[in-house]
Amino acid sequence: MAKRYRVCTTEELQPGERKIVDADGRSIGVFNVGGSYHALLNLCPHQRGPLCLGQVTGTMLPSPVGEFRYGLEGRIIRCPWHGWEFDLTTGKSVFKPERVKLKVYPVTVEPACSGSQAENEPRVETFPVTVERQWIVLHV
Amino acid sequence: MGQQGSANPTRKAGRKRDRRLPLIDTDVHTQPRSWDDLKPYLPAGMRERGFPIPDTAGTGYANPIGVLRRDAFPPRGGPPGSCYQTLRKQLLDAYDLDYAILTGAEIVGIGTSADYYYAPVMARAYNDWLIETWLGEDPRLFGSLVIAPQNPAAAAREIRRLGGHPRIKQTIMTSASRIPYGNPFYHPVYEAAQECNLPLAIHPGHEGSGISGPPSSAGYPSSYFEKHTNISQSYMAQLVSLVSEGVFDKFPKLKFVCIEGGFGWVPHLMWRFDKNYKALRIQTPWLKRLPSETILDHVRFTSQPIEEPPKTSQLLELFEMMRADRVLMFASDYPHWDFDSPFAAFPKVPKELGERIFWRNAQELYGLDIQAPEGEERRNG
Repeated sequence: MAKRYRVCTTEELQPGERKIVDADGRSIGVFNVGGSYHALLNLCPHQRGPLCLGQVTGTMLPSPVGEFRYGLEGRIIRCPWHGWEFDLTTGKSVFKPERVKLKVYPVTVEPACSGSQAENEPRVETFPVTVERQWIVLHV
Repeated sequence: MGQQGSANPTRKAGRKRDRRLPLIDTDVHTQPRSWDDLKPYLPAGMRERGFPIPDTAGTGYANPIGVLRRDAFPPRGGPPGSCYQTLRKQLLDAYDLDYAILTGAEIVGIGTSADYYYAPVMARAYNDWLIETWLGEDPRLFGSLVIAPQNPAAAAREIRRLGGHPRIKQTIMTSASRIPYGNPFYHPVYEAAQECNLPLAIHPGHEGSGISGPPSSAGYPSSYFEKHTNISQSYMAQLVSLVSEGVFDKFPKLKFVCIEGGFGWVPHLMWRFDKNYKALRIQTPWLKRLPSETILDHVRFTSQPIEEPPKTSQLLELFEMMRADRVLMFASDYPHWDFDSPFAAFPKVPKELGERIFWRNAQELYGLDIQAPEGEERRNG
């Protein structure tokens, strides 16, 4: 069964931002892509580079010869070693989506007063001060 | 769970593999924080001229994703490769290197400057700076003496001026030339390198910049992608020129290092070269042996960017065809964008071959001091 890890509150991870967290020795990047949250293993399948430290960008879409069409802004991450591009929302590579892909993890957003316990949450009874606060939770 | 936890996962992942073996990295790039730092090393009357180094971006070949690893920017500022502490953490310590050969960076491009009076002045200033800064930082670092081959007399003087320095292990110049490197024009450079017992290396990246020829045999391609793929052409042409024009017959102690030019083409070139020699040797009667024999004795190749064939078994066959046990030396190219990790770039290779590639070939070429590991566990204690 998946373990649950609190990443941060939703206010702490704005669109376009990332957090790199250590979940049981696994380095995982959690990204806010236009308001939705996605988590990827911070390990490029090519040469095990620190992929999640790469640039979040868009890419050139397939186009006729001689034309350039930019798209997917904010949805692509480019590995800092060798420049391989991946879709943050699926983990699939741009150049060979079905063959080369990253390990992705589910991410949920839960109210701070949620009854379920996260792995890294102190196991004491707490009383949330503001009920509006929401946690981003990573399931590994 | 720590925020911003293990930012570099490779270290942990790679530790398991062969760390009892010594490791020498033959292509590591360092650069100044700012070129202004080098102005004091220029002679009086020239300091304001700074370092106008031709590059291929000016020709139209800028790398669209940048040539520097984005995770290698030093925390205290400056470009990747400009901070010893960062290099030490990300490379020397992360991979437990025994030695790293520093190969400069943009400075190598002075070899494509039209100003053959000023290019050697920049080389001289850079070499003095390199020795005074980087080469004093860490006993694992050795340097390459940068020269401007378009002025062979000045290049030979520079080799003789600093060739005996104990931290200098080779001479380096750009692989992009106006005249192929076998031409007698350059022989004074080789004479000096042989005299100082320094291997002479070429490094790519300036094909198409300054006074060099077009970056491909077909002319000027339109993209960095295309130009970068064609770098092997430049290496093939230089190697054929050096061997054909008798450089290694005239300078029998000279060793030549092909850095970052790929190596998948080496078997093809040796086979084709030998075949043609058998029929056409009357044009080069000074060649006493098959070209491939000269290459195996005199030339070394660095591994990065490693060839990535569909099956790893094909890479092992390639190693056999090119005699990697004699000629191939590991290189990472840190901190450039196409860095090869010593733990992840290679498939599992037979133990003896691995020793040749990861340290013995470089140790022999550069005369580095490494004790052969005793038993299996030398480094694990």
